[in-house]
Amino acid sequence: MFGKLLKYDFRAMWKQFAFIWPAALVLAVVNRFTLDGLGSSSSVGETTAGVAMLVYVAILIAMFIIAVIFTIQRFYTGLLGDEGYLMHTLPVKPWQLVASKLLCAVAATAVNVAVAILSMLLILPWDSGDLREVFQVLQYLCSHWSMESAQVIIAMLEFILFMLVSFAVGYLHVYLAMALGHLFNKNRVAMSVVAFIALQVVVSILGNMILPPINELISPLVHNFQGLEGFHAAMWFGIAIELAASAVYFAGTNYILHHRLNLE
Amino acid sequence: MNEQLVTCAALTKRYGNKTALDRVDLELGRGKIVGLLGPNGSGKTTLIKILCGLLQPTEGTVLIDGQGVGPYTKSILSYLPDRMYFADWMKATDLFDLFHDFYADFDKVKAVNMCASLGVTPSDRIKTMSKGTKEKVQLVLVMARKAQLYLLDEPIAGVDPAARDFILGTILTNYNEDGTVLISTHLISDIEKVLDEAIFLKQGHITLHDTVDNIREREGKSVDALFREVFRAPNYEGGAF
Amino acid sequence: MDWTFTEDRPIWQQLTEQITLRILKGTYLPGDKLPAVRELAAQAGVNPNTMQRALAQLEADGLAVGGRTAGRTVTEDRSIIQSARETRARAAVRACLELLAELGYSREDALAFMNMKEELHDE
Repeated sequence: MFGKLLKYDFRAMWKQFAFIWPAALVLAVVNRFTLDGLGSSSSVGETTAGVAMLVYVAILIAMFIIAVIFTIQRFYTGLLGDEGYLMHTLPVKPWQLVASKLLCAVAATAVNVAVAILSMLLILPWDSGDLREVFQVLQYLCSHWSMESAQVIIAMLEFILFMLVSFAVGYLHVYLAMALGHLFNKNRVAMSVVAFIALQVVVSILGNMILPPINELISPLVHNFQGLEGFHAAMWFGIAIELAASAVYFAGTNYILHHRLNLE
Repeated sequence: MNEQLVTCAALTKRYGNKTALDRVDLELGRGKIVGLLGPNGSGKTTLIKILCGLLQPTEGTVLIDGQGVGPYTKSILSYLPDRMYFADWMKATDLFDLFHDFYADFDKVKAVNMCASLGVTPSDRIKTMSKGTKEKVQLVLVMARKAQLYLLDEPIAGVDPAARDFILGTILTNYNEDGTVLISTHLISDIEKVLDEAIFLKQGHITLHDTVDNIREREGKSVDALFREVFRAPNYEGGAF
Repeated sequence: MDWTFTEDRPIWQQLTEQITLRILKGTYLPGDKLPAVRELAAQAGVNPNTMQRALAQLEADGLAVGGRTAGRTVTEDRSIIQSARETRARAAVRACLELLAELGYSREDALAFMNMKEELHDE
């Protein structure tokens, strides 16, 4: 059943982003060529390059704004609005509904980042020499495979995981705020905003209380590590903290959806 | 299979200090069409929402087919809310796919046939449909399931008499005969003849639960007439003109 | 053919009466297959259980035969139909006489009144 929920959430996501992701990539390619016009003396070339860049940047920004709106709207109208009448009567558990929306939101943001990075790579004026160099680096890495290069790869994966968990925490924060707003009978949207700010305050107070002592405890350990080991430790420490925060947010949201749901 | 399909014991729901349901005991058997009758604000929707898991009771218990409300009870329950629950981007066919995926008892062929007989084009986007057509789509989704319990919340409110007959006809010809249909309404004269049993809900209390035949035999009047008596507005009988 | 119901009595009783009337009128002939419960219920716009009960009564009266699976047929025993017809006729006459009694006619006057076929036609 969870897989089916994901299927429909990802389908809804695709409807949102089906246009903008390809658009970002296409505009990157366009910029790749119009940027050549910058160096030339023709003002037409410069104007074209300027406009193309402006549109490209606007699309990148729009992409991230859409991701945030999409996340909020899928949760709010999907689970707390009229669509909730359908979703909450499906034969699934409330936590599955939240988890499906969350995975989908994190995936959308991750693809956004991937598209942004890819599009920037597309803009760069690669020539065949550059590509050959990249290829050589890859070849070098493969032929001189060692613990160190494995460590680098692992560190990168850890960083990616850390980023994904960070997105999740951010979205769960928003979810919990909306769920808290839902507890009120009137002005639920306004109360969600209030809850968001209040949560923010609570989190920073808690952060100030909890993090320094933990940091004191951890940092000597981290400094004792050699090379990348310190980075690994920092990453896993960060991931653990964020996962703990996620768990609290998730549990709170789930509790409200299960026990305090009151659709209008 | 449990003897009773639905068992509610001392079911209570309070919103703040307002009591919507007050220690309601209710048993519903199988293979029946039951009217949940009461004026607006008597607790009909609250009861239905608790049965389908959209609300948690403040106190008391609910068992459906012997189970507490959860994924199993939701899988045997077909619910028609008093509003639209569609996402805008969907087509009726998308909803058929969704129902087919989530409910093992959903009959897609039947849904398509019902659409044809109701004059609905399932490939149209929901967004472009009229309110009446959307209501038909929702009715198709609910009635194309072979559910154990159908919960229909005010299915005939706010539609003209022709549409009312049509909706009732659709329900009558499509429900699963082993299942039970619970219809909430305040328009009793229209549905009285399709009911096996009637439940009167007054300010969160069940004041009457009996078969329509018994009520007619005992009272010598229709359920509709009895309803008008029981729920007569208080200022009506004051007589202090 | 319409189905109409009054408010004061159980619907199944009224259904039994109306189907009986159809048999007496010859809408359904002896040996005819009666429509399935669900179909009849849909026609009348009533609950299938109610129609089922009405048909069970029809069976108890001997006017319909056959079980649930085979579908019901109108009895081929014309004597049962005839006796039902007479029962119905007697009831109609009795009701008429009661009404006339209320209007102040003695039994003899009432019967005499009923014999005035010509005058009735004039109305």
